[in-house]
Amino acid sequence: MNELEHQLSSKFPKARIISETIGNIIGLIVLAVLFWLDYYFDWPIWANWILIAVLLFVVVGTIWSFIEPHYLYRSWRYQISNDYLQLSYGVFTKEWVTVPMSKIQSVSTSQGPIMRGYQLRSIKVETMGSSHVIPALEEHVALELRARIAEFAKLKEVDE
Amino acid sequence: MMRYHPLTIIYRIYQLIKNSLILGILLFVVKRNSDFWLFEYGRYLFIAGVLLRLIYIVVSWFVETYEWDNHTFQLKKGLFIKQTSTIPISKIQNVTRHTTLFHKLFNLTSLTFETAMDGEDDSIAFEVVSKQHATFLLELANIEEEQLPKQENKQQEQAQHEAEVNDAEKKVETDHVIHFEPSHQDLLKASFTSLSFLAIIPIVMGLYDIIGPLLPDSDHYQGIFYQIIDSRWLIIMLSVVAVVIAIIIGIVRTFSRYGKYRISSSATHIYIERGLLDETQFAIEKQKIQGLEIEQTLLKRIFGLAEVKLISSASPQSEDHAVSVNSLYPFLPINRAYQLMEALLPDYYVEESMNRLTKSSLYMKLLKPSWFWIVVTAGLIYFQPTIFQMDAAWWLLSLLLLLIVIVNRILDYLHTKYSISDDQLQWWHGGLTSRMFITKRRRVIEMSYSQSMLQRIFQLASISTMNRSTPTRIETINDVPLDFAKTFHHWYLQRQKDAIYQQKKLEHN
Repeated sequence: MNELEHQLSSKFPKARIISETIGNIIGLIVLAVLFWLDYYFDWPIWANWILIAVLLFVVVGTIWSFIEPHYLYRSWRYQISNDYLQLSYGVFTKEWVTVPMSKIQSVSTSQGPIMRGYQLRSIKVETMGSSHVIPALEEHVALELRARIAEFAKLKEVDE
Repeated sequence: MMRYHPLTIIYRIYQLIKNSLILGILLFVVKRNSDFWLFEYGRYLFIAGVLLRLIYIVVSWFVETYEWDNHTFQLKKGLFIKQTSTIPISKIQNVTRHTTLFHKLFNLTSLTFETAMDGEDDSIAFEVVSKQHATFLLELANIEEEQLPKQENKQQEQAQHEAEVNDAEKKVETDHVIHFEPSHQDLLKASFTSLSFLAIIPIVMGLYDIIGPLLPDSDHYQGIFYQIIDSRWLIIMLSVVAVVIAIIIGIVRTFSRYGKYRISSSATHIYIERGLLDETQFAIEKQKIQGLEIEQTLLKRIFGLAEVKLISSASPQSEDHAVSVNSLYPFLPINRAYQLMEALLPDYYVEESMNRLTKSSLYMKLLKPSWFWIVVTAGLIYFQPTIFQMDAAWWLLSLLLLLIVIVNRILDYLHTKYSISDDQLQWWHGGLTSRMFITKRRRVIEMSYSQSMLQRIFQLASISTMNRSTPTRIETINDVPLDFAKTFHHWYLQRQKDAIYQQKKLEHN
């Protein structure tokens, strides 16, 4: 399989793991409070079962969140030409997406607090019917890419 | 600045009466003695609502205006908050002309222009408009009146050859060609395939509900019922009568819905005209068509019929949902359907030789876990319901469902065919109901292909395309060879060839 040119920033797995871990810790705290409430107020038995099921999910999810970012990083590729934006990603099911530049309606970058710490930005591209996110690029790469996509996307087709 | 036709007020009042009639009867006739708070207050609310609406209808007529210039329509409305919307004429995608009995009574018609714009003000509706003004508006939107099939022709049944002469003249005068008018045979076939004779079931049920309580003595009534059941002959007779009535009703329904049907086209537009009493004429610009779909249900496949649908970016706002405006004709013989497609849209052609799936796709389809079946079976195991006093019913049901799932997948394998040519893609897929999708490369606004873990083992992939429509049209074909997915991808990367061609065309204009 001929791969696309560019990869995400190599800091992506670290940043992703940190942000996911924070989320998971908050989730676990909420769950612990719920378990305490369950114990204290003597909730019916089915509530207990639901809580245990949720706990199971969260634990598996937490373990997975330490592994997934590495695989996701390895699977992520993108490529940009005058006419097309191409993306490929996916750990289990791999997806290859091709978007003509002329169909792109908006492009934006965004940055959360953790990504700011790592100097990363994500890029969001919106078309008439879909939106795609490139999750983490080095700041200067992201800004340059945004400018290039905006430049290429100017051309409009006579198909309205 | 123009106001809408004054009869719009009457038309809206008529609509108001039509829509509130059932609720009114419920509140004031059926439940007139009920003290239940819902009905008690409902009556006041109902009267208040109707009165307010009446006032609104009259006042809004004075407020709502429209004007136009060469390029745009401007609509003004709003009692308290003034609203002005501007709609460019070039954005108009299709035109529907609907002539109901009400309109016929006053020799008027209605017009709706639909656009591909988002939001609330995406269509311009003239609920009541005189025929001359309709003609004028159509001309404004670049749709010539002669192109919309003339109404005068319909008034009387003309001698066959006379009509033909007329058609021939028309062909000479404009480039307007009639492509399809259903024959009686087509309609008979249609009335059986549409299962419209089953409409008798709700009708009978409804009758039973209405008549049942009115009968003087329900014991006596049941007595008759048992007497009927006792005598076999009577049952057979009644069944025969019921079936005959059902078939007649089905045929009448089909004839009234699809009887008067005409598909025609000019160089730039496609026209669909239908309806015996409520006449609808529909025009769509060929340029705006994003793709085509042919759909065959199991029953239609047996009869060799198919439905052709146009995929366009305008949102269809059909008043009666019985017939979708995007459908050309739901009961076309399949070969006619192909011919019609090619005749209406010369850009498109139907590829006869298409690729079929290999055996590995069949294995893939059979191996893929059916989540639907798993969830239903889990539910059945948990509840273990008894149906028809059968304890074993739950696993029989599960087995039956599994069988349907497998048959559906095998049919999907058999039905799936695909091909790409210079600038066009075409594929069939689907199990019990199969669909053909056909579109031009430049109409595809995005594509993707994907590979699940299982597909990786078999070297297969799924391809998805996206077309403009509301909502966005996503078509997927599953379990094609990976090589084809890659070929498809490369083919799509050549897309700008067609697109550039389009731009050049514009420059010439």
